[in-house]
Amino acid sequence: MRKSLEGDESENVSSSHKSSKPPTARKRSEPRQERNGDNSDVGSGSLLDEDNAVNRREIRSKYRDLINSVQQNRDHMLNPSNNMLTEVLEEANNLFKDVRQTREAALDAQLIVVATDLGKEKASQLFSEGAAFDPSAFAENLLSFMGLNRLEGGEHEPQNGGDGYLPSDAWDRLARRAETCFRTAPTFHYMLGSFHAEPPPPKQRIERQVRAPNKEAKRNMPTQLKKMEESHQEATEKEVERILGYLKSYHQDDPTTPISYYEFVVDPNSFSRTVENMFHMSFLIRDGLAGMYLDEDKLPCIAPVEEGMDGEGSSQKQCVISITIDTWKELIEAFDISEAMIRPLSES
Amino acid sequence: MSQRKRLSNTQGASQNKRRSDSLAEDDSEVPFTQPSSSQVQRGLARVSNAQVEQKAAEVVQYIMVKDQKKIPVRRADLVKHVIKDYRNIYPEIMKRVLQTFSQVFGLELVEIDTKAHVYILINKLEPHEALTTNQGSVNPKTGLLWVILSVIFMKRGAVKEGLIWNTLKKLRVDPGERHEVFGDVKKLVTDEFVRQRYLEYVRIPHTEPLECEFRWGQRAELEVSKPQILHFMGQLHEREPQSWSQQYRDAHPSLGAPGPSQPSRSQR
Repeated sequence: MRKSLEGDESENVSSSHKSSKPPTARKRSEPRQERNGDNSDVGSGSLLDEDNAVNRREIRSKYRDLINSVQQNRDHMLNPSNNMLTEVLEEANNLFKDVRQTREAALDAQLIVVATDLGKEKASQLFSEGAAFDPSAFAENLLSFMGLNRLEGGEHEPQNGGDGYLPSDAWDRLARRAETCFRTAPTFHYMLGSFHAEPPPPKQRIERQVRAPNKEAKRNMPTQLKKMEESHQEATEKEVERILGYLKSYHQDDPTTPISYYEFVVDPNSFSRTVENMFHMSFLIRDGLAGMYLDEDKLPCIAPVEEGMDGEGSSQKQCVISITIDTWKELIEAFDISEAMIRPLSES
Repeated sequence: MSQRKRLSNTQGASQNKRRSDSLAEDDSEVPFTQPSSSQVQRGLARVSNAQVEQKAAEVVQYIMVKDQKKIPVRRADLVKHVIKDYRNIYPEIMKRVLQTFSQVFGLELVEIDTKAHVYILINKLEPHEALTTNQGSVNPKTGLLWVILSVIFMKRGAVKEGLIWNTLKKLRVDPGERHEVFGDVKKLVTDEFVRQRYLEYVRIPHTEPLECEFRWGQRAELEVSKPQILHFMGQLHEREPQSWSQQYRDAHPSLGAPGPSQPSRSQR
């Protein structure tokens, strides 16, 4: 219920039983009549200028507060359940009693503009009598029309937080029905389509040609690799056998003279080949095809082991041999090795 | 405004009109002013009928192609690109153009903005339900546009943008996200539909922070049938269209509806 207004103002603003009616223009005239007549309440006109300025500042500040409150609380004021707008206008009416100068009056005018805008919006709310339109219900009905599948048990993931699955042609379905409301001019296009030149066929040809070599190339790969792996294993065995051959032939040449191990493996021209020779020698020794012993000078010597001899004679020991480039050079000097006893593969 | 126009007419040289025209046209070109009927007569005398027909046909083609995007055609562009030297018989050409559209294609060329001189093409014939279902491809944007236009109509002419966005969100169309059918929804609604003159997107004055509202655009006013909207609305909600009394009156102006400024006490 609206609270009753004092004095003359109540005649101009009739109360409605439902909601606050938008204020009419006539309300504004009342304070002016009061001002011209009885000045007993307001004494600002006859006081000192300082008081005047302070008063005016106060008035302006209050006006600005009112304007802000209308703008900030717009949504709340729109609600027909309260009378906030009317209260704002009443307060403005009160303020206006003290207004003497243009500056404050301008602020008052600004407040009126803002308030009447709001009033207009409130008025438009009044006229949704009869059948109101509910956008939520509208949306629900539309979704059903568009074929929303309200399945439970999550066959499809829920979209946008809603339940059910909207089919991909949903909007097409709606558009088809909606078109009947439009008198759109059909868009112009050539009936038989436009003429496209060559491009599509060559693309296909290129693709086919490219595909064939790929498959063949792949097929080749595995066979090549196999060969490589075989050759690696074979190479070592072959090399070991070759070295055994050298060892045996040197031993046959002179069975009594021991073959110095270092003289045998060192290749004065290549450190890496020396290491390889040592590596291959170790296989021979491991397999019992060659033996190593120390001679009178405590230098290692090697000799081929004859087949048929059992392993009891030779003591089985393990040792690790290492060599560095410096050692290799020292060996070459010490033993005066000028050429390799094991001829490298590349030379033969 | 009107006084200035009167003065310019008496002065003969339509300088003021040129100034207002030049706002819509290129600065490099001589702005186009509507030739007087005497000028047109003199111009017609100098050209053959076949030439005039040819020009009219070119204008028809130009407008038809331009209409594909549904963006209005500007008179300035028409004059610059098609009519060119025949601008002194412009009214005669346009008369034949209108005739061709109407009688050959069943379309109507309407000037929706008499100041900026901008034209759109609409269909003279009412859409027939049987015909539209047989058509090949349908444009889903029509559905989206229909939703927005209907909400505006049911809310009696103007709707805050917030309501539109909320309604669309309920339909799984979020202006903040990319939609798989519509793409950039906000751009489609506030830019494309507005440029096509289906919608108007205007600021609400004195709102802090800034808010805009949607209204029907000029093209919508001409193209869209309000009774049809109400008819479909009724089908959706399983109600009689008349149950929305005010909207029904809006849709049938011949029934002498009282405007929203007069509260209708007698009918309740």
